[in-house]
Amino acid sequence: MRDLPYRWIEAIQDRRDYIEDQLRLGSPVVGLQFEHGSLLLTVSKGAQKIFEVHDRIALSAIGHPADIERLRMLVTDTASVQAFQSATEDVNLHRLTHYVLAHTFKQAFEAIVGEAYIIKMLLVEIGNGDATTQFTHINYDGNVRVQEDSSVIGGTEPIETAMQDYLSSKQNGTKQDLKTTLQLALRTWAVGKELSQRFEDAEEDTDVSEEQIDEIINTALDEGEIEVGLLDESISGDTKFRLMTQDEIQDTRQTDN
Amino acid sequence: MNHKGDFLSLLKNAENIHLDNDSIEPLQGKNKSGPDAFLLPSIENRNSGSELQIPEATTVVAMRYKEGIIIAGDRRATAGTAVVHDRAEKVIPIDSHSALAISGAPAMAFEIARVLKHSFQYFRRSQLQELSVEGKLRTLSRLIRDNLPMAMQGIGAVIPIYALYSPLADESENGGKIYFYDALGAHFENVDFATTGSGSIWIRGVLRYLDRWGDTQLEQMDQRKATITILRLLDTASEYDAATSGYNAKAEIFPTVKTITQDGIESLEDEFLSECYAEVT
Repeated sequence: MRDLPYRWIEAIQDRRDYIEDQLRLGSPVVGLQFEHGSLLLTVSKGAQKIFEVHDRIALSAIGHPADIERLRMLVTDTASVQAFQSATEDVNLHRLTHYVLAHTFKQAFEAIVGEAYIIKMLLVEIGNGDATTQFTHINYDGNVRVQEDSSVIGGTEPIETAMQDYLSSKQNGTKQDLKTTLQLALRTWAVGKELSQRFEDAEEDTDVSEEQIDEIINTALDEGEIEVGLLDESISGDTKFRLMTQDEIQDTRQTDN
Repeated sequence: MNHKGDFLSLLKNAENIHLDNDSIEPLQGKNKSGPDAFLLPSIENRNSGSELQIPEATTVVAMRYKEGIIIAGDRRATAGTAVVHDRAEKVIPIDSHSALAISGAPAMAFEIARVLKHSFQYFRRSQLQELSVEGKLRTLSRLIRDNLPMAMQGIGAVIPIYALYSPLADESENGGKIYFYDALGAHFENVDFATTGSGSIWIRGVLRYLDRWGDTQLEQMDQRKATITILRLLDTASEYDAATSGYNAKAEIFPTVKTITQDGIESLEDEFLSECYAEVT
């Protein structure tokens, strides 16, 4: 019996290795603020990957589709019930993250006899009134990271660091218009995409040239797989979420070239 | 997990939820069981119901005009012979392209509108698609039917008009649709206009006359003409129905008037209504 704690730690480490291995090739997600709100961008092959959670909250994730769906429904159901029982103003990302999602992730991860969630989730809430916009990244083990200007999720930590570094080198601290912001999000996504391929081939170089980025973007645009969700203050009514159409996304390329 | 997109089922299964139709027991059939549990209220119970002084009575009206639907309601809430509120909002936006005009007991009517709004939102968010028009109509039917015990006791009847702009409408056609409900939840599509509430009997015939023999058919009216017409109708209802308010010039309280077009719902500003009133009087 004395060695049980060590077995538990070993089991947790095995589980961590397994989940990270499963997540490594996930298509990155980029979250950025623009002049009228925030956007989430990723590439999806068929299934939708950016979702409306509530009036001012959206999410995207990488991981197993069944786990994404289960946790998306959990957070959507909770937000909907809370909004009805009290008021829509009482639903906020902080409460959903800390009282619903984070402990659910952690509990599943550490209960070694049960199934863990293979997922990394990125949620965004656009501020209402004095509240600031928040990007919340939740890891499969329940760890939470909150950022204000932008956030990314990628298959591994080095991929996320490289994407964040690219973003930091391009951002000038002011909110840009939608088209400019979308182009930056797309280029940041391309960095993550290229690196996930390189790491799969056991390469460790993290420098990605602008030409390589252009090539990856053009391929994704040709295949029409880019998905962009907006939380846009300029949308009238309570609900601020909408998905951009493929025509709007293709318009980005016309300016780009 | 609720994968049906049914918000009422979700609420019933959630913890600490009190919205449960089983808890709404009819006064008359409280100690009974079986099919005769919901009986018509006795005279005594109807009287006791009216003693509660539930705010009710109104005039709401919707009609098709050139660009879609114009929908309006007066602002008065009454309880018996008392005016309890003169700024009631009786036209409630439900989603981006539909609105509910309510008549009857506000407590139940506002709750029905709230449940409806949350139901449509929840379906869209959970199922990743908009609820169909037929699905929306049936959801409202179900809510009105669930309210039947309150209606039968004479303290909570709700008879709404539901108006929407069809998302499937071609740009060249008028996609505005108006639905009228009865207290049991049956819905009927009224092609050109609908009105409900205690003041509606005074203007239904006028609407018919205008649509059939007026200078301009209702559907051919532009927004200004449709607004003037609808303000005149509410003014007429207020002249004959004590539970319907007119335009209060002193307090500058205007009726609620909204349009539903392909671009969505728009509330007409007081300034515009004031200009139109100048032509009404």
